Amino acid sequence: MIGRVFVIMLMLVASLGSATAAGPDCSRVFTLALHDHGLLYSAETDSGIDKDIADELIRRSGCKVTTSLMARARIWQLIESGALDFSLSGITNAEREKFAGFAWYFSNKYYLLVRKDSGVHSHQDFEQNAKLQLGVIRGFRYSATANRLVDQLLQANRVRQAAGLAPLYEALMLNHIQAMIIEPFDYPTLDEKKVRDISSIMEFNDPPVLHGLIMSKKSLPTAEQEKWQALVSEMRRDGTVRRIFEKYFKPDLAAAMTDF
Amino acid sequence: MSALRLFLLPLLILVAVLSMTWLVWEHERYNTRKELQAQFDFALRDTVSRIEQRIGAYEQTLRGVQGLLVTSGLKNRKAIREYVETLQLDANFSGIQVIGVVERVQLAGRDAHIDDMRKAGFAKYNIHPEGERESYAAIVQREPGMIADKALLGLDVWANPERRVAMERARDSGMPAITTKVQLAIDREAGDSPGFVMYLPVFAQGEAHDSVAQRRANLVGWVYAAFRVSDFMASLYGKQVSGLSFSIYDGVDPKESALMYRSGASLARTTSEGAAAISAIEYMVVAGHAWALVLATQEEFEVRFGRNAELIIVISGIFLSLAMALLAWFMISGRARALSLAAEMTEELRHMAQHDPLTGLPNRALFSDRLQQQLAHAKRHDRRFAIIFLDLDNFKPINDNYGHAVGDRLLQQVAKRLQEALRASDTVGRIGGDEFVILTAELAGAELALALAEKVREAVRQPYMVETRELSVSCSIGVAIYPDHGTDEITLSKLADEAMYRAKEDGRDSVRLAT
Repeated sequence: MIGRVFVIMLMLVASLGSATAAGPDCSRVFTLALHDHGLLYSAETDSGIDKDIADELIRRSGCKVTTSLMARARIWQLIESGALDFSLSGITNAEREKFAGFAWYFSNKYYLLVRKDSGVHSHQDFEQNAKLQLGVIRGFRYSATANRLVDQLLQANRVRQAAGLAPLYEALMLNHIQAMIIEPFDYPTLDEKKVRDISSIMEFNDPPVLHGLIMSKKSLPTAEQEKWQALVSEMRRDGTVRRIFEKYFKPDLAAAMTDF
Repeated sequence: MSALRLFLLPLLILVAVLSMTWLVWEHERYNTRKELQAQFDFALRDTVSRIEQRIGAYEQTLRGVQGLLVTSGLKNRKAIREYVETLQLDANFSGIQVIGVVERVQLAGRDAHIDDMRKAGFAKYNIHPEGERESYAAIVQREPGMIADKALLGLDVWANPERRVAMERARDSGMPAITTKVQLAIDREAGDSPGFVMYLPVFAQGEAHDSVAQRRANLVGWVYAAFRVSDFMASLYGKQVSGLSFSIYDGVDPKESALMYRSGASLARTTSEGAAAISAIEYMVVAGHAWALVLATQEEFEVRFGRNAELIIVISGIFLSLAMALLAWFMISGRARALSLAAEMTEELRHMAQHDPLTGLPNRALFSDRLQQQLAHAKRHDRRFAIIFLDLDNFKPINDNYGHAVGDRLLQQVAKRLQEALRASDTVGRIGGDEFVILTAELAGAELALALAEKVREAVRQPYMVETRELSVSCSIGVAIYPDHGTDEITLSKLADEAMYRAKEDGRDSVRLAT
């Protein structure tokens, strides 16, 4: 009897040991930054998709991670410098590939949210009317067509930058900007109806864009990044990611976003 | 046609060079604009990040006080005072007017709270504005503490809507939150000097504050810092790019009533200048609250970063196109003028080759030409004409007595008389010193030729006036008729010459017909 318990204990210790070996190296405290962005994270309520993903990821890693709130532009800057280890819901481009690694957990399309009274029926219409202003969040990138639109309007000084979504919605309601680029989780929790009443949505004809955990290449060796990627893959495989998205979206949209 | 050719090429060159100037100018204008826009974008990003950094530094300062309050409690006045003193909020942090502590007081605990404060040495302490409310947020300490500020102790900031919104946000998020534009309590008499207050929540030590519910339950108070916007802006690190004006508005709507700060010379530009100006609005989020930053270029900025090459390009381009067109015109018209000069000179040379330089009459060569033509014509049409040789009598003594100049003048006058005496269709030439020859047009017979010769002889013997001197000269004339006396130049000339010599021999001043 005692021998059997000993054997079981031995097996447990062994399995624990192997689990620890597969998990990330927790020998230091990591930093993770959230940005206030619709359903991804609301500082007002300290909750959101990113927060849930972060909590679960931190729990599974067993590491100590300090979480803070920052503007998106600042996050990219710190990821590049290596001062920040992680952030969430990031998309990549050639420039970011140089300093950041990613672990994808959802994908979605980008949309142009346009005031109905601006007389715009497509993003080409919007581009052609020199009076219309587009609001964007500093440091954000989008799908190819949306990026092209933003870059062209920037040249023409027709872009208003913001540090977050909330002021953009306010500016849209005031008709100071006539459009903004949004993702499915970008509707404001508070004034959703008011915004929907005055605006319409246009899809960019781009494929969905992958979003994921952002890892600083400067602060995390490739082997460590792979361990964190494995954790995210595991969260997708066992349905945790899907369940988190179902907390915030209807099941079909949650499925569309997390199956890619 | 030639005028068109003369102007077409210069015009084409003018248009081409002007078009090129325009292209270069457009390109330069585009580049200048792009450069300005890039400089402006940089300045905007820089301004925003300087404000964000400064706010971040103040947040961190306040987190220090928050940490102290969590560990030592709200009541440890001495520790708080000493802590704030060690922060050395000197000129470097001149944005902060005051750091203070607010205690959350429920209605049930109000009297006990007032008692505690009075026991701590504030005999007149009371919560104001007075009245029963569900909960209070009373200022219990302000550092640096001035005697005059004592009246502000006990102020229930929960009763002030702007401050309450920020305090609620700080409580629910657990993070720093700032108020909208407010007038600070210490500025009550200082006129319109906008400020804002930053709050950080203080939760009871050891109690969880991971959810909104937990945070609401375990809140004991707030630590706050009050800022005067003008001082805050003055404490920014780095230097604002000159030639830019900027304003900060509370909220996203840049209306005058929301104005919090306006940099030095940021007066609105006149509309004419405004067309060239670049301006932008950026929506900042400062401790959870939106500010609109309006940045605009002023003339100085455009002068500094613009390349100002546009005017140079326009002026030099126009000058160059005019110069090139003019050059082309000179080259083309120069060729035309050279050609016409050459033609003139050729004509002159030709004239010189065929005429006697003294009298302007055809010389022997031209005369011979005409004679050949006349011969061919007369042969073809079976016509008659005369060739008349004329030699002045005793001309040599005139040259010898009065000099060659007088003799020459006399010859000129004789030539003139000969031309006058003859018909336009007759030709008179000078073939030697005082020898002339006349080729008549068609004649009916020898009589007419002799009559013409007589007319000439009479005309020649009229007196001449040469330099106030009256001179007289006569001539001997010989006439030969084609085809009566000969049918070729040599025969006719020879016979006419012989006839003329006969006239000389017969006493001069007479006419003889060839035989």
